[in-house]
Amino acid sequence: MRQWLHRMNPSVKFVIITISMITMAFFFNPWTPLVFFFGVVLFQLAFAKVSWKIWGLMMLPFLLGAIGYFWTTLVFGNDNADPIGTALSLSFRVLAFSSLSLLFVFTTKPVDFILSLMQQLKLSPKIAYSILVGYQFLPVLKDEFVQIQQAQQLRGIVKPKSPVKGILAMRHVLIPMLAGAVRKAERTAFAMEARGFTGDSDRTFYKRVTIGRTDFWMTVMFVLLVLISIYAGITGPAIQK
Amino acid sequence: MLKSWKLKEVVLMSLFAVVFGIIYLMFLHLGNVWSAVIGPIAYEWIFGIWFIVSIIVMAIIRKPGAAVIPETMAAAIEVMLGNAVGPRLILAGVIQGLGAEAVFAATRYRQFNLAIYMMAGAGAAVFSFVYGYLLGGFAALAPEYVLLMFVIRVMSGAIIAGIGGKYLVDALLATGSLRGYAITKRDAHA
Repeated sequence: MRQWLHRMNPSVKFVIITISMITMAFFFNPWTPLVFFFGVVLFQLAFAKVSWKIWGLMMLPFLLGAIGYFWTTLVFGNDNADPIGTALSLSFRVLAFSSLSLLFVFTTKPVDFILSLMQQLKLSPKIAYSILVGYQFLPVLKDEFVQIQQAQQLRGIVKPKSPVKGILAMRHVLIPMLAGAVRKAERTAFAMEARGFTGDSDRTFYKRVTIGRTDFWMTVMFVLLVLISIYAGITGPAIQK
Repeated sequence: MLKSWKLKEVVLMSLFAVVFGIIYLMFLHLGNVWSAVIGPIAYEWIFGIWFIVSIIVMAIIRKPGAAVIPETMAAAIEVMLGNAVGPRLILAGVIQGLGAEAVFAATRYRQFNLAIYMMAGAGAAVFSFVYGYLLGGFAALAPEYVLLMFVIRVMSGAIIAGIGGKYLVDALLATGSLRGYAITKRDAHA
C-alpha cells in the first residue's frame, strides 16, 4: 500500500490532480482547501514513501507565499461579509495546491511521465522524444553554464553586484548557451534520424507504461476526498458572523 | 500540424525549453521570496520572463505552434526537474503559449517585428491572467487591485518578453548559428 501513489499511471495522476485543482478554484470558504490539504498529506503518509524533510523544505516557500496571500486579501479584499474567512481560504488554497503538486513530484519518475503522456494521452512521439532529449542534455547544459561563466571571468568580466544588473548580465552567458543549444539540436536530430527515428505514432516502445487497478482505486479515493472537502466547506461555520 | 516540422526544429524547441526552464525556475524562487513580503503582486513585475521562450522560438522557426509548444515544453521540463509548483505549470504553459500564439496567428505568421513581439508578450499576459484569476482566486480581491495587477502583468509581458525576446533573438542571429532556420531565409528575401 505504501507504493500505490508511486505505482499509479503518471497520466492518470496528472489528469486527476489537474481536475481536483480546477474544482478547488470555485470555493472561497476556508474549510474546503484546508480539509483537502490535510487529505493530500494523509494520502502521502498512507500511500507513498516521502522524505518529509525535503517535503518541509519545499513547502516552506509556499508557506511564505500563503502568508503574503493572507494579508493581501485582508487589505485589498473584495468581500466585506467574511474577510478573514476569504483570506484564510486563499492562503489554504496555496497550501492545498502545493501539497498536491509535491505529491505528484515525489511519486512520479520524470521519464515515465513523458512516456505515459505519449502512450496514454497520445502526445506526438516527435515532441515526447524531443523533451526526453532536452532532459538528457540538462547536466551537459549545467556544466556549460559554469564553463562559460568561468571562461568569461578568466577574461576579466566582473560579476555585477546589484541584483538588477546581475539579471541583465545573464545575457552574456545566455546567448552563447543558446547558440550552443542550436548546434546540439541539429546534431542530435541528425543522429536520431540516422537511427531511423521518424516521429510517426505507429511505433513500438521499449518500455510500456500501463493503467492498472491501483489507478482505479486511487481515482476513487481522490474523488471522495474532493467530495468530502466540498461537503466540509458547505457545512463548516463561517469565521466571522 | 507537426508534419511540416523538421526534427531539428522540434529538438531545438526542446533544448531552448530546457535553458529557459532553468531560468524560469530561478525567477520562480525570486518571486516566491518576494511574495511573502508584498503578496501575489510580487510575481506581476517579472511575469514577462515566463513568456519569453514563445517569442524567441517563434521568431526563429515561424511556423504554427512555435509559440505554444516550446512554452508547454518548458513547463514540462520544469515539472521533470522536480519543481514544487508541479503539474499545474503545464496547464499554465499551454495557456500562456496560446496567448502569444494567438497574436502570431492573427498575422497569419507573416509579420515578425518588435511591435508584434510586444503584442505577443501582452497576449500571453492576458491569457495567463485569466487563468490566474480563476486558480488564484483573484475574484476575492478588490477590482482596483486586480486591475493594477493586470496592467503590471501586461506591461511586463510586452517589455520583458517582447523587447527582451527581440534583443536575445537579434544577438543570437548575430552569432551565425541560426543558418538553416526560417529567420535567416525570410529576412534575406525582405
